[in-house]
Amino acid sequence: MTTLPYAFAEEGCYPTPEHRLLRDSVRAFTRSAVEPQAAEHDRKGTLNRKLFAACGELGLLGVTVPAEAGGAGMDATAAVIVHHELSKSDPGFTLAYLAHAMLFVNNFYWNASDDQRERYLPKALTGEWVGAMGMTEPDAGTDVLSMQTTATRDGGEYVLSGQKALITNAPDADVFLVYAKVEGRITTFVLDRDMRGLSTTGPVHKMGMRGSTLGEIVMDDVRVPAKNLVGREGQGVTHMMRNLEIERLTLAAMSLGIADRCLEIMLDYAAERRAFGKPLVDHGQIQRYIGESFAKTEAVRALVYAVARTVRHDTKNRIGSDAAKLFAAPVGKEVADAAMQVLGGWGYCEEYKVERLLRDAKLLEIGGGTLESHQKNITRDLFALAKG
Amino acid sequence: MKILVPLKRVADPDNANKIKIAPDGAKIDTTGLEWKPNPFDEYAVEAALRLTENGATPKVRGGEVVVVTFGPKEADTTLRQMLATGADRAVRVDTTDDALDGSLVARALKALVEREKPDLVLMGKQAVDGDSNQVGQILAELLGWPMATFAATLQEEAGALLVGREVDGGVITLRVKLPAVVTVDLRIVAPTSVYSLATARTHKYADGVRFSALPAIMAAKKKPLIEVPLAELSPDTSLRIAYSKFEPPPVRKAGVKVPDVAVLVDKLVNEAKVL
Ligand SMILES: Cc1cc2nc3c(=O)[nH]c(=O)nc-3n(C[C@H](O)[C@H](O)[C@H](O)COP(=O)(O)OP(=O)(O)OC[C@H]3O[C@@H](n4cnc5c(N)ncnc54)[C@H](O)[C@@H]3O)c2cc1C
Repeated sequence: MTTLPYAFAEEGCYPTPEHRLLRDSVRAFTRSAVEPQAAEHDRKGTLNRKLFAACGELGLLGVTVPAEAGGAGMDATAAVIVHHELSKSDPGFTLAYLAHAMLFVNNFYWNASDDQRERYLPKALTGEWVGAMGMTEPDAGTDVLSMQTTATRDGGEYVLSGQKALITNAPDADVFLVYAKVEGRITTFVLDRDMRGLSTTGPVHKMGMRGSTLGEIVMDDVRVPAKNLVGREGQGVTHMMRNLEIERLTLAAMSLGIADRCLEIMLDYAAERRAFGKPLVDHGQIQRYIGESFAKTEAVRALVYAVARTVRHDTKNRIGSDAAKLFAAPVGKEVADAAMQVLGGWGYCEEYKVERLLRDAKLLEIGGGTLESHQKNITRDLFALAKG
Repeated sequence: MKILVPLKRVADPDNANKIKIAPDGAKIDTTGLEWKPNPFDEYAVEAALRLTENGATPKVRGGEVVVVTFGPKEADTTLRQMLATGADRAVRVDTTDDALDGSLVARALKALVEREKPDLVLMGKQAVDGDSNQVGQILAELLGWPMATFAATLQEEAGALLVGREVDGGVITLRVKLPAVVTVDLRIVAPTSVYSLATARTHKYADGVRFSALPAIMAAKKKPLIEVPLAELSPDTSLRIAYSKFEPPPVRKAGVKVPDVAVLVDKLVNEAKVL
């Protein structure tokens, strides 16, 4: 794996020496530990838990958690760097990492009490426990506020009943952050795998992102102690919306990683492969794939890293994170597709990796918000911001 | 144990084709080069960390590793990188890259060793840019210390090191009394190459150099990094080596295809004269 030049100064992405060190470290880790296992887990459709623990050792699982709480104490740019670099080799594993480190750990840390942090964070940060976050339901996806899962107070406990679907890590997870309605108000709970009445299904077979597992969380009158209520009743929507920004941003960073890798693969191949007496790079139609892929990838890089600097847990830039993901996801897919076209029949075969990256890239137009949901959000926000 | 590890930044060896020579051939043009720590020096840092810890609990330091480099302010990046992987302190000897040769570096290191008083100077066997392979040897001579080069294994004993050197047909093991200068080869980062007194002989390290963990990257910001002017360590900054001209290697000629083995053998015997 070589690194291609950027269209602009690197400082645009890496504002401090620590960000560069982080990039170098995750890049080295990705090359030596992530790349070699990606194809196997894609084929089998399994999560590599040993690699997950290695991420814990490296401090990746708590990238955004403050140092006092055992994390790395880094910012959204750092989270972007990690997802960007890991996705160059294994977007599937990166999605499992995202579901844990962003959807579970980051969300939980910022909203949990000290007692809850003490009970859950240490094992979540080492990777001994895998986390999942349950928002989507069989009948509530984009229209998430219409969720049906209920939590009913009963003495010192809540009784949770309902079903979460399309949940990354559900088959592997030990701990779950789930949203349920208490008297119609969305509320956050943290659940353990061994709670009575809680079960998971799957893994569901899926087109891509096969290095992560997907399934349902079924809650059949699960009795959850009140100490597992995260924040207060009715705060769930705030938790969810606040966390969605870094989720979308890091998902966009995954598309960037896919695009970077595919561009590199297509360039290497086009330089080597000859047709009609000259290398592919000398054919005009191939230059169009390469040139456009580079320009689009650089535009994604500039947008994602610029938005990253504005995302913090206590500030808001929903329109920026929606825009980053809306723009990045199709570029990841298009550049992967262009790479396959440049590689011809060989691109369609496993060995050159682009068929896997193309399958993985499609998910980013759906998960964490569909393209249509970003279009809807952006239009609403633009209207509200511009027209008051 | 206190260990001093000198290290050099070199142009990214994975991108060697990016190296440009100034049109007059007077020097290598360093603008736009991506700098990396010399790989052998990274191995030396890894070996030094292993010697100053118990392999089972690497987060607890059991000694001190001081890294030192020579160069301008930007070379701090290389030092910070080593602080992030676990080194305890850093020294940058302030100078420009083209005002150095092996002898001057060794003379300045001697003065630094006298200040720092390490038990061991551990260094890469050579830098992959100039491939001179001489600083360790000159330094040992100047200090009058025992020396072992190309170490493939290191085992700490009380007041000494057992150094395994790979040679043709086997391994020579030397017992070197401390303080000493030891230069390392690439096998020094294999899983069972280095044992401190604290590390169990059954312990196996991960192959290669360790990655910088995120909390360590943040902590490295607070570790001491001092700057020392070169002339303070070596008032005599004259060079023993003068470079008269730089030239890129000649472009490789296209190969030839041979029809069969007989022609190949004929060419190897008569043209290439290697058989
Ligand atoms: C691999 C994978 C991993 C996932 N991981 C998680 C996870 O960890 N946790 C979690 O909670 N969820 C997860 N999801 C669920 C994901 O967030 C949802 O799939 C997504 O929000 C879309 O919901 P839906 O699938 O129900 O589609 P629907 O909402 O039913 O949408 C179907 C189509 O209708 C369009 N549509 C819907 N509403 C509108 C509208 N108002 N205007 C215009 N068009 C509209 C959509 O854009 C889409 O094209 C995951 C999904 C996948 C595939």
